[in-house]
Amino acid sequence: MRVTLETKPRKKPNIPIEAESIIPHNFLRGTDLSVYEGNKQRSLDEIFFITVEGPAVSPDQVEVILKGDTGRIKRVGEYMNAGKIVVEGDIGMHCGNFMSAGQITVRGNADAWLGREMRGGEIVCHGNAGHYCGAGYRGEKRGMRGGRLEVLGNAGDFLAEYLCGGEVIIHGDTGDLPGVEMRGGKLVIEGSCTRPCGNMSGGTCLVFGQVHDLLPTFEKRERTQVDFRGMNVTMDTYHGDVANRGKGSLLVRSGDHA
Amino acid sequence: MSELLIKNACVIDPLNGINGDVMDIAIRDGRIVEDVGSSAEVIDADRCLTLPGGIDSHTHVCGTKVNFGRYMSPEDMRAGRTSRNGSMHVTSGYSVPTTFGNSYRYSTMGYTTLLEGAMAPLEARHTHEEFTATPHQDMMANTLFDGNWSVMEAVREKDVKRAAAVVAWILSAAKGFAIKLTNPGGTEAWGWGEDVSSIHDTVPYFEVTPAEIIETMIRANELLRLPHSVHLHCNNLGVPGNYRTTLDTMNLVPDLNSRRQSLYLTHLQFHSYGGTTWRDIDSRSEEIIRVVNASPHIVIDMGQIMFGRTTTMTADGPMEFKLYMLHHNKWSNHDVELETGSGIIPVYYSKKSVVNCVMWAIGLELALQAKNPWQCLLTTDNPNGAPFVKYPEIIALLMSKRYRDQECALLDPRTEKRVPLMAIDRELDWNEIAIMTRAGQSRALGIESLGKGHLAPGAEADVAIYPIRTTEIDPSAQFQQVMAGFSRTMYTIKRGRVVARNGEVIVEGANSTIWVKPRVSHEYDLGNDPEFAKKFQQYYTVRMRNYPVQETYLPRGVCIETEADL
Ligand SMILES: [Zn+2]
Repeated sequence: MRVTLETKPRKKPNIPIEAESIIPHNFLRGTDLSVYEGNKQRSLDEIFFITVEGPAVSPDQVEVILKGDTGRIKRVGEYMNAGKIVVEGDIGMHCGNFMSAGQITVRGNADAWLGREMRGGEIVCHGNAGHYCGAGYRGEKRGMRGGRLEVLGNAGDFLAEYLCGGEVIIHGDTGDLPGVEMRGGKLVIEGSCTRPCGNMSGGTCLVFGQVHDLLPTFEKRERTQVDFRGMNVTMDTYHGDVANRGKGSLLVRSGDHA
Repeated sequence: MSELLIKNACVIDPLNGINGDVMDIAIRDGRIVEDVGSSAEVIDADRCLTLPGGIDSHTHVCGTKVNFGRYMSPEDMRAGRTSRNGSMHVTSGYSVPTTFGNSYRYSTMGYTTLLEGAMAPLEARHTHEEFTATPHQDMMANTLFDGNWSVMEAVREKDVKRAAAVVAWILSAAKGFAIKLTNPGGTEAWGWGEDVSSIHDTVPYFEVTPAEIIETMIRANELLRLPHSVHLHCNNLGVPGNYRTTLDTMNLVPDLNSRRQSLYLTHLQFHSYGGTTWRDIDSRSEEIIRVVNASPHIVIDMGQIMFGRTTTMTADGPMEFKLYMLHHNKWSNHDVELETGSGIIPVYYSKKSVVNCVMWAIGLELALQAKNPWQCLLTTDNPNGAPFVKYPEIIALLMSKRYRDQECALLDPRTEKRVPLMAIDRELDWNEIAIMTRAGQSRALGIESLGKGHLAPGAEADVAIYPIRTTEIDPSAQFQQVMAGFSRTMYTIKRGRVVARNGEVIVEGANSTIWVKPRVSHEYDLGNDPEFAKKFQQYYTVRMRNYPVQETYLPRGVCIETEADL
């Protein structure tokens, strides 16, 4: 089944839409769903032109396609457990919150909290991701716990804060403090970043670009070789964050690589 | 004139010796009366359990440290949310809810009066502002004197009257209700980089011991004729082997008052540990309760812990720092200049932790072994042991051996050898529960004469009607019904008005704050004392004339004036 949701023109297009109802599973029972526009409850067809093609008996056969002015639609794919969501343009905050399975593709940019506390499944963002991508929400001690989150562009600050499990891959650069408070999982940054992994207690972070302002609380260890896109790359290995008795590994491409 | 008649109420009113009689209760203008006219509004209680409004004699719901707990735990704010509904405000939070969240949840459980467990005098305004936003309960504040410099100087001079004069001035200024000592001397010692590990260690600079502070304050309390006794959080909270400190403390207490206890020891569960480390901690509830049973001038509350997530908050700064060193989770400590301190950390009590299992058992053991329910009141030291919404579960545990056995089967298996709980068969009855949740509190706090905690003509018309027919259920087997019944009243009546019905809050409410003003002679009025004024000039960041809480902060204040022997 393919469900296409194309945004209708809105009088006040800046008012955010809370759309946690948009997950493949919910469309098995039809399109009689509601979202909030600001503090007003709206039926799905007040916001979108809806077309449904083909049948589905289980949520993994459902593909939801979002088109149009989708940059202010929040919480799409929250608690998603199967199926596919494709966003043709940009997506608002909290896309893929707590998702446990399935696939989300964002062809544009994603706003903050992409894949917040996700537990499984896959998110691929072709553009840039905002702050707190793959992080835990305010006050939470555990961020992303499983699954795979890939951003082909750049990511903002506090990328993968409190990362506990799963894999986060950023092809571009990131902002300040990626992997801060990281406890497990794997974080790969192909571009550059500042102050990675502060207070980390576990997990592995690899940075293939430049690291600015490496924190002084990381202990330098032996060098090691890793494979990066078929090339053998020499990495400096750091252990930390020793200020927090951490047992994490931070690998940074060394200056004189082979 | 407004009149209300509650018909067919199955009343348990321990202060008046009523135990399960089916009767009518007449209410006029917020007070219980002999009878009302035929035009009175009528509520049919349908032979359901009807009790005086619940009273919590130790809870943390308002003030600076509670609020700090709120803003350091945004995840807790997301854990319990209700939307606006009629006259009900939006609420949020689980272990440290918003003030309205606290008030509504207490109200739907039938509680109409609360004692905030710890208010730093310097920060009293904040507490009073939150009191006015806790609309369904009358409020009182324990006022912290554990590390007060002027008090400790008086203790050093062995001048009980001077100590009483300090208390009188500060209590009136902060609009507080009673003297609270939290780890007396300990928080101040910690401020000097030290600690006290027994009641006979000395506090640096002041050269006084916790024992001296406690004894002086008990005597000062009686000189001031305060309604409540000294309210003590003993030294060494949460330390394995601390039961010795608790026993030493209980042995200090003179019997000075014929109407009530001379010392109230709070959350005694946290003070009844044997062993030497976390590895060999065990229960010493038997030793502790033996002394309580032999000391009618002592009242304790349980400080029960319940498994799950909560937030700990106390003026016991050093204790919270030790907890932080154990958990390495988020944490905060505060100093309150010249007076006290505080600390806050979130915790999770787990059935997989033998330490937590022992703690859980001790609280229940205290209540089950206390011969006299008037001496052991039901609390969780909300939210330290558990959020108060767990009270119905605790009541069910106390009333049902079967329920306890069912829970014990889920504990860490090492627990059984360390606690006597499994061998205790006692099941408390309805009357005992009524004592432990309202009548006992009323007497211990000395607010019986204000008409609290009982239903005789003249009493405040605070009434809780629970959907429980005591003659039709066997609490030992039907503990689920007990729990459900105490979780949600059919009616909660506050000062003659129905404020909650079947778990729904229906009116905004307007509470009072009860505070105490001891009247002392001119000689002992520290408002005229140059030595006392010097504290403000030299050390406080607040001037003496700006220190007292203005009465505008208590829009519905009820002042108890006492005639002090000073
Ligand atoms: Zn307390």
